[in-house]
Amino acid sequence: MKLFARAAIAAAMLAAVPLAATQPAAAQGTVKFGALYPFSGTLALLGDESFRGFELAVEERNAAGGLNGQKIEFIKGDAVDPNQAVGEARRLTSVDKVSAIFGTYSSSLSLAATQVTELANIPYFELGAISDPITERGFKYVFRTNATARDFANRMVDSIIEAIAPALNTKPGDLKIGIIHEDSLYGQTVSGYQKARAKEKGLNVVEVLPYSAKSVDLTPVILRLKSAGADVVLQTSYQNDTVLFFRQMKDQGYKPKAVMGAGGGYSTRDTMQAVGAENMEGALDVDFTQYNTNPKAAPGITEFAAKYKAKYGIDPRSGHSLANYMGAKVFFDAIASAKSTDADKVRAAVLAVDIPVGQTATGWGAKFSEQGQNTRAVPFLMQWQGGNLVTVFPTDAAVAKMKTGIGAN
Amino acid sequence: MDVLIQLVLNGILLGSMYAIISVGLTLIFGIVRVVNFAHGEFLMVGMYAAYLLAAKFGLHPYAAAVPIVILLFAIGAAVQRFLIQPLLGAEEHIQIFATVGLSTALVNLALLVFGADLYSIPPSAAQGSVMVGGFSLVKGQLVMFVCALALVAGLHLFMQSTALGRAIRATAQNRNAALLMGVKVDQIYVIAFGIGAGCVGLAAALVMPLYPVTPTIGTYFVLTAFVVVVLGGMRSMYGAFFGAMIIGLVDSLSGYYIAPDLKEVVYFALFLAILIFKPTGLFGLGRGTE
Repeated sequence: MKLFARAAIAAAMLAAVPLAATQPAAAQGTVKFGALYPFSGTLALLGDESFRGFELAVEERNAAGGLNGQKIEFIKGDAVDPNQAVGEARRLTSVDKVSAIFGTYSSSLSLAATQVTELANIPYFELGAISDPITERGFKYVFRTNATARDFANRMVDSIIEAIAPALNTKPGDLKIGIIHEDSLYGQTVSGYQKARAKEKGLNVVEVLPYSAKSVDLTPVILRLKSAGADVVLQTSYQNDTVLFFRQMKDQGYKPKAVMGAGGGYSTRDTMQAVGAENMEGALDVDFTQYNTNPKAAPGITEFAAKYKAKYGIDPRSGHSLANYMGAKVFFDAIASAKSTDADKVRAAVLAVDIPVGQTATGWGAKFSEQGQNTRAVPFLMQWQGGNLVTVFPTDAAVAKMKTGIGAN
Repeated sequence: MDVLIQLVLNGILLGSMYAIISVGLTLIFGIVRVVNFAHGEFLMVGMYAAYLLAAKFGLHPYAAAVPIVILLFAIGAAVQRFLIQPLLGAEEHIQIFATVGLSTALVNLALLVFGADLYSIPPSAAQGSVMVGGFSLVKGQLVMFVCALALVAGLHLFMQSTALGRAIRATAQNRNAALLMGVKVDQIYVIAFGIGAGCVGLAAALVMPLYPVTPTIGTYFVLTAFVVVVLGGMRSMYGAFFGAMIIGLVDSLSGYYIAPDLKEVVYFALFLAILIFKPTGLFGLGRGTE
């Protein structure tokens, strides 16, 4: 009996160890890329969602004849944590000999993996991680299509001036702003950019409150905001603390004129369902382009959603797939125009890319800095209305009019 | 002044949540003498059970408390019988490693089954708040407060006035003497571990309406639970109850008057001070009993 019990425990523990998913080796006459995402572990859900966008871009390209007549083949690398990201990047570059790697969704994974590819002189195309330093380290072959944390923070602060103040018929300087954020690197970074931007724009920040994302009680934070009379709250958070904040805000009867968040903590349906559609009503969110966006400002977005549904049988779970799809397409075009996978030729081709804003499926343009960062990626302002996340700003991408207030009232 | 009263009320209600989570940990530590690092994961398992019962059978977590307590009792008893008991002769740190391993295994099992998403039950009345004299009290927390009092009182009665309770106390006081008196010590340990886990099952059912569940939810609560247990004098249920109240109040007040990210600094500083000046905890029985 004892032996059995021990064997059962050992088996259960073994089952919990994630296995790396790999594809068969490449055939001839193809161009090989690595797809480095977290496919297992805690980041797996949105890692997989990101990968789906890349996969759809590859299929579309292959159906249209591939890259310069060669079929694209990709080899998956499972990056559960930074250590494994390094290991998988090494495997992809030295064993599988891929011509480039696409990834990664999570910033810490991207920061680790790009060090390997840079040393190996292999281009790394980042399609979803937002940490600024990824393209601030002077790397030659790291390129990124998506917006960075600083872009997110700036968009949040600018939205107060460009969207919220006009809707409330007040001057931006008269609004009292509260900045709250979870106190890990993510929250510290974004709120740091927010503070700098708010100061630059002359806004009145009355409270800056960090808290632990593992906090089980945010009532003190809410009472501080309430005492300070904050009209607009900017929150940088994960899911749990977003849910807690909204629930306890209601318990304490605190009704600011606007609450704005960014990223996963605000965009996912789970968050909205846990908070309740009526309590989430009016919450503003700055994020990658989501699906309720005017297709005139994001040509191809409707087609992408349809292709996604045809392949995976469900609606896209977040905007990550769309951002990865858009990024992969931009880089495929660049590699095609380079007519080679040589890193220097690819770099020259990427730097020559010039797509105006509003001509890709995400609505972003593409124009890369010397550092490899896309300078035309603009996150949109969205709002929860009737249980749906709809784009409300800028006006040409909007599908609904922004409203003020929070909760159904 | 209004804010102060609101914070104090909030602190007491928060304390009752910490209390109801910590009582089970105190029992297991006090009787079985095992530091159960998987306590937070028991809470997580209980919350997933509450979620499933609500999602599949439409059972409100308060009604689901009975099956969840039974389930957690069974899990706790099984852990003691098949994981801890074979290690009772080994050194204490081996048992600690076993519970740490169990905790990691349970978190990863939850990741495998449920993924990293958060799940919550449909909004219910427990989430709302009532206004009493201009102060807002969350209904779900009031329920927790009443249940925490009832749980401590119920366990007190059970320990004092039943034969099984006496046997449990005897085992806790002196294992060998109890064995000589004909108490089946191994069985008592299995039951005590089960009761401790059952208590956290009750906590899970009460916490579920207020917090969404994720595989790592246990880590949100468990560190505080350990502080509460040590503060309360390690083995004392009543100590744990008052320790929880103190932590709740400190949490609430320092979060407002100092800074929300520094509240842990404040209560860990308090914790260290108590350990230095009264090493057996606030309600400890004196040196040698810890």
